[in-house]
Amino acid sequence: MVVREYNDELKYLERIDANSWRIKKGFQPNMNVEGVFYVNSALEKLMFDELRNSCRPGMVGGFLPGVKQIANVAALPGIVHRSIGLPDVHSGYGFAIGNMAAFDMNDPLSIVSPGGVGFDINCGVRLLRTNLFEKDVQPVKEQLAQSMFDHIPVGVGSKGIIPMTATNLEEALEMGMDWSLREGYIWAEDKEHCEEYGRMLNADPSKVSMRAKKRGLPQLGTLGAGNHYAEIQVVDEIYDKWAASKMGIEDKGQVCVMIHSGSRGFGHQVATDALVQMEKAMKRDNIETNDRQLACARINSQEGQDYLKAMAAAANFAWVNRSSMTFLSRQAFAKQFHMTPDDLDMHVIYDVSHNIAKVEEHMVDGKQKTLLVHRKGSTRAFPPHHPLIPVDYQLTGQPVLIGGTMGTCSYVLTGTEQGMQQTFGSTCHGAGRALSRAKSRRNLDYTEVLSKLQQQGIAIRVASLKLVMEEAPESYKNVTDVVDTCHAAGISKKCIKLRPIAVIKG
Amino acid sequence: MFKRKLAALDHHAPDSVNINDEKEIKNLVSWLENQKIRRYKIEDRGLLQADGPEWHTNFDKYCKDLASPVVDGSMAEKLEWLIGYAVSLEYADDVEKYKGQTAENVGKATPNVPKIESSNPLDNMDFESPDFKKGVIALAQILNITPHPDHLITLKAVSKVVRERLSQEALDNPNNIVVKGKPFPFQEADLGFDMGDYVLNQAAKILRLLYIHDLRDLQTSINETIVAVQSITADPKTDTKLGQVGR
Repeated sequence: MVVREYNDELKYLERIDANSWRIKKGFQPNMNVEGVFYVNSALEKLMFDELRNSCRPGMVGGFLPGVKQIANVAALPGIVHRSIGLPDVHSGYGFAIGNMAAFDMNDPLSIVSPGGVGFDINCGVRLLRTNLFEKDVQPVKEQLAQSMFDHIPVGVGSKGIIPMTATNLEEALEMGMDWSLREGYIWAEDKEHCEEYGRMLNADPSKVSMRAKKRGLPQLGTLGAGNHYAEIQVVDEIYDKWAASKMGIEDKGQVCVMIHSGSRGFGHQVATDALVQMEKAMKRDNIETNDRQLACARINSQEGQDYLKAMAAAANFAWVNRSSMTFLSRQAFAKQFHMTPDDLDMHVIYDVSHNIAKVEEHMVDGKQKTLLVHRKGSTRAFPPHHPLIPVDYQLTGQPVLIGGTMGTCSYVLTGTEQGMQQTFGSTCHGAGRALSRAKSRRNLDYTEVLSKLQQQGIAIRVASLKLVMEEAPESYKNVTDVVDTCHAAGISKKCIKLRPIAVIKG
Repeated sequence: MFKRKLAALDHHAPDSVNINDEKEIKNLVSWLENQKIRRYKIEDRGLLQADGPEWHTNFDKYCKDLASPVVDGSMAEKLEWLIGYAVSLEYADDVEKYKGQTAENVGKATPNVPKIESSNPLDNMDFESPDFKKGVIALAQILNITPHPDHLITLKAVSKVVRERLSQEALDNPNNIVVKGKPFPFQEADLGFDMGDYVLNQAAKILRLLYIHDLRDLQTSINETIVAVQSITADPKTDTKLGQVGR
């Protein structure tokens, strides 16, 4: 890694406009393309502070700052356009979380990297609407939170209540949400309103290790820990009336359910297995990267293909997982209100993936190209009329679900044409960490965090108190800043703001 | 490819010529030369039956000899011109016979009035009579349909409205059948491209809406199929004893 003074580092960063910065070639060695990151003034400060801290003498090792990671990704073979940092960008394994990078499928040197997808493969957000309003739910929100907590097991080591056999799992890995449909856990319309229709067709369960399957089997239908949650939310603000009504959101106060979860231990194991394989492939094919964590393999190599197939199986796992929790949430609501989920109009508005790599068609310098788009902590945000978004959203653009953190608000955005050109239809995914987990634990007290939530009138059920501190809103960037930056930069458009009234967490 | 032109030339198999098969190309070219074009003397026509790369040289020379304007084009383009050339020769052979065959006259040859005598009174109607036209326009006005200059298109619209909105089912349960959409300001919606002309852009927007409408129907029937299959396969189970809350 290049060691420079902070002021020398700044020479490589250049402001493009009020909401974006360019990272010039040379910031890190061997950059094939430039980097770009989107920030507003508040987030900008966080980014530059992070860089300044890493430049202090003696700061060797530890996390690389987000800007450096974006630049390292720009040095990977086969990358096209730019390495893009979204406003919620923060340090991650190899790739920063909140980084989009696309590789040309027709370039034999192009790579796929598990670090560019993340360990929680196909972590994502699903939003269900209801026809209830805040006044219907407020009086029973404690019971409802408890009922959700009873239905959806949470926390590290939790086990699901949907019986699964090893054969079931194999089928689910191959079929994704089609499995949930076949077994009757979800509705036909759920599939329609899900990215990729809830199934990656190239999934191959035989490329997944026994160990991953063993870890995954009991975990289907569980929320997990970390930043995952299920929340009962109410519509707080509607910015785009028409787009909201296309999503079935009519008025402020309408109640929704947001589920944020991923592929649990299964995806983690798939990623870990792949990293081991890829280190070998890198030696064999002489692939050089700036950071050891950027383990990767050529897309066309055996290792690359195996990873993509196993990753697709993990993606399918995550969709089945979110589908199972959709089923369980519907059950919880139905029991509480003595009405069927149908009568409660509990439709899936949309389901997004924010940790995934997908083959997509994009325009690069005026030419259509087939790219492998890595989105890590970044949500796909396709514009109106894109053939891969559901028919109901053809006029509005794809709904983009941005989950906040415990106690803060969440947003629904829509994709834009400008985003398609600038970021290959990618936008932010959430708040993005500002403090490390360890730092949060040191600095925050859980009783304080809990009483604050109580004051805000938010019912909360958690499995672990340690987590409350790690996941406190203070540990994160302000999600409103993040979303406003995306809106101002034009890479997605604000549609709905939601605030939580009940939170279930690991 | 070339189906219509080959049929006009009385080719023996106009439907099944595969221009990706070199052998078939060779046969086609040789047939055209022997039967229609006759540029070379009979004894020289063997050149167009030669094997291997030599054939391509001969074929290129042949095209040159015929003064084909297609020099660098693909094989399909070269053949396209060659067949067209054969058609023009055929036409020149008997101009009197073919010159009456304009698009208008061909249209007249297949009239709107069905010729078959039938007991169905509709079949005996004159769809072009002023009475009929007036009737269609009157019907359209009653149903609030904007008339099209072609009364038959107006009639199609009338039929669609009657089928979808005035069926017994729709009249009994208007809420189930008649879609209650909310108006969407599609004029302000992003078209995704600009054709540089207001009218063209409007037309493109309308085409997009029609396409979305078709797509919605398709997706609905997909969903119905899934639901039908679910009624056989679905058996969701839960077992709360399995559940375990983590740390």
